[in-house]
Amino acid sequence: MSTVPVEYFLIVAAVLFVVGAVGFLLRRNLLVLLMSIELMLNSVNLTLVAYNRLHAANHAGQNLAFFVIAVAAAEAAVGLAIVLAFFRVRKTIHSDEANLLKN
Amino acid sequence: MNFRALLGVAPLLVVALGGALLMVAEAFSRRRDDDEHGPTGPSSELALATAVTLFVGAIFSAAVWFVGPEKIEGANAVAPYIVVDRFTTFVSFILCLGAGLSALLAGGYLPEHKLDRGEFYPLLTFSTVGAMILASAGDVLSLFIGLETMSLGVYAMTGFRRTSPRSTEAAVKYFLLGSFAAALLLYGAALLYGATGHTDFDGIRQALITPVGKPNRGLTLIAATLVLVGMAFKVSAVPFHMWTPDAYEGAPTPATGYMAVAVKTAAFASLLRVLLGALGHPDLASWGSGWPPVLAFLAVLTMTVANLTAGRQESVKRMLAYSSIAHAGYVLVAVVAMPKAGAESQGAVLFYLLAYTVSTVGAFGALILCGSRGAEAVSYEDLAGLGKRHPAAAAAFSLFLLSLAGVPPTAGFFGKLNVVKAAIGAGHIALTVVLLINSVLAAYYYLRVLVYMYMRDPAPGAPIAKPMRSGYVAGALVLAAIAVIGLGLWPVLPLRVALAAALAAK
Repeated sequence: MSTVPVEYFLIVAAVLFVVGAVGFLLRRNLLVLLMSIELMLNSVNLTLVAYNRLHAANHAGQNLAFFVIAVAAAEAAVGLAIVLAFFRVRKTIHSDEANLLKN
Repeated sequence: MNFRALLGVAPLLVVALGGALLMVAEAFSRRRDDDEHGPTGPSSELALATAVTLFVGAIFSAAVWFVGPEKIEGANAVAPYIVVDRFTTFVSFILCLGAGLSALLAGGYLPEHKLDRGEFYPLLTFSTVGAMILASAGDVLSLFIGLETMSLGVYAMTGFRRTSPRSTEAAVKYFLLGSFAAALLLYGAALLYGATGHTDFDGIRQALITPVGKPNRGLTLIAATLVLVGMAFKVSAVPFHMWTPDAYEGAPTPATGYMAVAVKTAAFASLLRVLLGALGHPDLASWGSGWPPVLAFLAVLTMTVANLTAGRQESVKRMLAYSSIAHAGYVLVAVVAMPKAGAESQGAVLFYLLAYTVSTVGAFGALILCGSRGAEAVSYEDLAGLGKRHPAAAAAFSLFLLSLAGVPPTAGFFGKLNVVKAAIGAGHIALTVVLLINSVLAAYYYLRVLVYMYMRDPAPGAPIAKPMRSGYVAGALVLAAIAVIGLGLWPVLPLRVALAAALAAK
């Protein structure tokens, strides 16, 4: 059975993670920030599952990936609720306008 | 099924079950959001139930301590996911104590400020469950679940005042940076898994020691860095502290108190487990080639930046937020000393966390007590002349601030003393000097509150905060004050307990 080398998955995952992290740092739309975080978590899942192929003795990586998926869903729910509450009060989802609290 | 095994995780189970019952009770309780007649809504009774649940959790932790976790057969049946040892038990006790006191504060604060919605209490309880899991996690899996269970509850509590722009903004900032940090930590853990083939801390350490098939050094370095950055966010070490003042200022004050004590305590407990467990390899824990110099740098930066910024704040709540960052810096000094000073240093960390918990809950409680509906005490000016108008509230505030400043004979003094002893024992003289200089800097802004309370008269026409009346807040303050003075007068026994709670060196 010919398979795709593990490194390919790892590189894709690393690229996804960097895209997510850079997106998080550069974008100003709260929903895009949420999406960036999801992207980072998904890249973690891909990394875990890919590495699990190298460490076939246990399924620790796949186990962890399942839990990350579940927790990411819960996190998205809370995150959207918070962004919604913010939008209701401020009528904007631009993170630059979250500027009431500062030194 | 061995039921004795359940005794080991009894504190966790009690708090989780209590949270579930509270959620049901909250659903059936009547809502009286717009009652004009003061604290009669559902949350007063729920606050008491929550506090009782959490104090029972603390009592169970103490019971497990006296039985001895190592003597309970099968207590570690789910290790490494939940490790039941004296360390877990001690930290669970601190967490339950801090959370229970915060619940009492909420019982006074929420009705007073028309936030009388019962959801706060199940959130607080489940968040504490997450914190306890985090403190006992010996595997990345349970670490992540504990971390997120804790954080999700706290995010919601931060944004609890839904109609307030500041509260929702605080929640947005805290949520985004918290999730970002969690993602960094998780990616680091995934790379660590790739390098070693394990997600449990012991397995990771073993794999890093084994000379055969040595894990890629560069990969390990990147992974460990990401994990440490993620944890530094959670303990709010400078330069990863940007979210802290905003989240603390915008959140309802009982939630702020809870964040300052429970989240920080659990994060430090987890940091200790990761550093001594996963990264406990002698090379990684040495001054030349490991994490201690990195953490020492963070500690110096955290203490200095936080104290300098705290002195410039006009809001007392924000000052306390920076003060909590500074305290994270002091604890980091003891963490740096860990590889050399061993158990003594861990004991110093645990004792400090206990002392810091009771002092900080007390300080935020006193701040709550000084305000009332529509007139929350926020700035120094609000507190002017409080010593004359309300001597009891001012005295309580003074006690907790003196403890935070580290004045004997309070809990905070011995907390700092132990940290200094551990740091000197490990030979970190320069770090100790920085810590002492910072303690002096910190005294300035703590004493400034005292000056305003006792030596200034309120400016004419200034909005003067009127202290509220609440048995819950008063009760929490009395408990915290007893703990602060008790730890200050009889520090030997608690310190011995903290030393016994240290993680075994591996």
